[in-house]
Amino acid sequence: TPRHATPSIPTRSLPARKPENVLEEARARLHVSSVPESLPCREQEFQDIYSFVESKIMDGTGGCMYISGVPGTGKTATVHEVIRSLLQAAEQDEIPHFRFIEINGMRMTDPHQAYVQILQKLTDQKATADHAAALLEKRFSMPAPKKETTVLLVDELDLLWTRKQNVMYNLFDWPTRRHARLVVLTIANTMDLPERIMMNRVASRLGLTRMSFQPYNFKQLQQIITSRLNRVKAFEEDALQLISRKVAALSGDARRCLDICRRATEICEHSGQQGGTKLVGMSHVMEALDEMFSSSYITAIRCASLQEQLFLRAVIAEFRRLGLEEATFQQVFVQHQGLCRMEGLQPISVSEGLAVCQRLGACRLLLLEPSRLDLLLRVRLNVSQDDVLYALKAD
Amino acid sequence: MELRTTNICMKNFKSRLPDVTFYSRESEAACGPRGSVVGFSGSVSEKMLSGLHYPGCPEARLRSLREKLPCREVQAGTLLAIMGEPEQYCYPSIFIYGHRATGKSHVILTLLKELELPHAAVSCVECVSAGLLFEQTLLALFGADSAALLPRLPSLSDFVRVYRQVCAQQPAKQTRYIVLERAELLRDMEANLLPGLLRLQELVDDNVAVILLSEIVWDKFRPNTGCFEPLLLHFPDYTKAELLQILSLDSNPSYTPELYSSYINILLGVFYSVCRDLRELRHLAALNFSKFCEPLEKGEAKEGNTHKLWRNIEPHLKRAMQTVYLREVSSVQWGQQQMDEKEATALRGLSALAHVELPYYSKFLLIAAYLASYNPARTDRRFFVKHHGKMKKTSFLKKHEKTSNHLLGPKPFPLDRLLAIFYSVVDSRVAPTASVFSQISSLVTLQLLTQVGHDDQLDTPKYKCAVSLDFILAISRTVSFDIVRYLYDFI
Repeated sequence: TPRHATPSIPTRSLPARKPENVLEEARARLHVSSVPESLPCREQEFQDIYSFVESKIMDGTGGCMYISGVPGTGKTATVHEVIRSLLQAAEQDEIPHFRFIEINGMRMTDPHQAYVQILQKLTDQKATADHAAALLEKRFSMPAPKKETTVLLVDELDLLWTRKQNVMYNLFDWPTRRHARLVVLTIANTMDLPERIMMNRVASRLGLTRMSFQPYNFKQLQQIITSRLNRVKAFEEDALQLISRKVAALSGDARRCLDICRRATEICEHSGQQGGTKLVGMSHVMEALDEMFSSSYITAIRCASLQEQLFLRAVIAEFRRLGLEEATFQQVFVQHQGLCRMEGLQPISVSEGLAVCQRLGACRLLLLEPSRLDLLLRVRLNVSQDDVLYALKAD
Repeated sequence: MELRTTNICMKNFKSRLPDVTFYSRESEAACGPRGSVVGFSGSVSEKMLSGLHYPGCPEARLRSLREKLPCREVQAGTLLAIMGEPEQYCYPSIFIYGHRATGKSHVILTLLKELELPHAAVSCVECVSAGLLFEQTLLALFGADSAALLPRLPSLSDFVRVYRQVCAQQPAKQTRYIVLERAELLRDMEANLLPGLLRLQELVDDNVAVILLSEIVWDKFRPNTGCFEPLLLHFPDYTKAELLQILSLDSNPSYTPELYSSYINILLGVFYSVCRDLRELRHLAALNFSKFCEPLEKGEAKEGNTHKLWRNIEPHLKRAMQTVYLREVSSVQWGQQQMDEKEATALRGLSALAHVELPYYSKFLLIAAYLASYNPARTDRRFFVKHHGKMKKTSFLKKHEKTSNHLLGPKPFPLDRLLAIFYSVVDSRVAPTASVFSQISSLVTLQLLTQVGHDDQLDTPKYKCAVSLDFILAISRTVSFDIVRYLYDFI
């Protein structure tokens, strides 16, 4: 590779297509990346974060906030929304001006890169991690009368964990300095992250300002979709309700919900090609849900070859005989030969049996040891026995 | 994608290979491609047996090729059929396996050299890192300039990039072959190397085929995440008749070929039951031929007198099996000994040199260690305590032990037990000085003892005795100690 190449996304040669019909319009609006006009169902959280940050900016002090919640509950979106309205307020001179910096733990090769990124976003300076840490330390502890407040958003906080936890420590320690004027908003998935992985002195600096985002219930999900669709009539009311109820029962993940909606519009489009545009109905939604939630293992077992299915049956027979959840290939193979004879098939050779076994292992239906152990390699099932039996019995 | 390329490849030379059956396994749909075993035994028709066919190659050269590949015509024919015409695409990877010295590399390299096909032959033993392998391959296929393009620690993707780059300048007119000998070592390199090489044709988008040679079957190669399955090709062992035919080829010019082949016949009669390795047999044949010819030179026998020649050489060959075949006696020594006409057993082999001179107490320490390793601890009272009081005979009688301790191997013992036995077997009073303890640790460094479980160096270390019975017998003889009387197994 060339030395100084920067990877980039290829540029678009044609302008993005305008949606042609209702379904396409709906799909564009339901896409995860399209920014909604407002965030419904998170008004309370929005208000809390807004007042927290606003009060810190008004006072010219610093502080930390920890935001947790399972994926797809709108943590990042809410914080971005807060910042957007704060910036608007600052423009209208309702509150003092401030700077906003965002870093994401997932986008760093190393936790110490956090210093480098913060420094670069603050001052456009490039430095090594250690040097950047020293510069930031100096910047946040020195008094500077004209300094404006900095709001720092740390997404995916758990990835900034290091053995000595110095990155986290510094991030939470700087706001406590007198002259820092730094507000740190941290986002992670688990509620008890400070208790689980942080040392006491780090957790205590993080403070007790915490907020947890509850998973959406079905009404909220439905409201989110309707607000996104914004009077584009593409879904039947019942279909929307089914999707939101299903997703709420499983995870309450809004992104998942949107994905299913989009898939349902695609299915509807395919099925309704001859009859012009029509609404997304129950059947389309059912099909989309089936695609998204059904286990691929069972399908894989059903589509496997005869010998592979026989091998799985031999695995289960051997487990039954041993009373264990683990057997060597040799033991399973003896069962396999027996099953072959019972089925009236030509018994296969050891090499072929091993190939069958390793093919099942390659698609992770079985868990295997390295192949160089051949006869002695231990075989375990990666799916439950009931699933295998169900898949084998169905035909 | 995967499936499609395989099918195309398969189609390509199914048309070229009318006589070879491809045993494709069941369930194409399940998970991608798989190799096919090319069978030699039943599936190859007589037409293919009759000789090699290669389009665009003069008949004379094919004939010379046939002479260079004795007894391997079937395999060579199949290989040629798989390789196809130079500008056709070959199967992406071929895996050739067979025992040692069954002509795997000989056949493939002779074919590639004689037909003047571009190829790179790399031995994986020489390539301690993947980088060396890439460098050698590029060097052989494209010359020194291309190998210089590789960065310092090349990965597979670097190799593919450089290959594509060079390949764009010199597009392949003929199939390029990469022959990897001792391919089993590829498994120990990076995990993605072997799968990458197997589908190199697809990665570099060039007419290239990778040929892997190994003594191990393919089943032990397959990565856990699956890979592109190569075409499997088995080289069977040479039969006795084939060995005779091949070995008779290098006859001595001063004697008739018939005499040489009768000599080979005798040699195979002695050695065939223990050794089928062509290289070993050829080496032994070369070593002992002068002895075989001795009666002829002296005039004691004629060429036709096979029985006499056999009587002369047979004991000599049997001796050779125990000495020179096991490398106890080196080939040079063996040759000299035949020249000097000495008795063969007069030479001391390597194993006779295993005698070690040890200090007095070290010998006793070693004896004590041996006793501690091979006797159960419950019998120590019986063996080593002078006045052990009344011991019930029944308690000492061997409990129905299935195997002797000598078959099970040495058992670990603590230092205390070693010293207790040591003081019991040494007649004089020995002070437990530093020298005694340092002798124990030097026995460990000499690998006569081994320390078990390195968790604790100072406090109650455990040892095992690592010497054989013969060795300890010799040691105890030098200090006139009858060790057999103290061994539980021999009571």
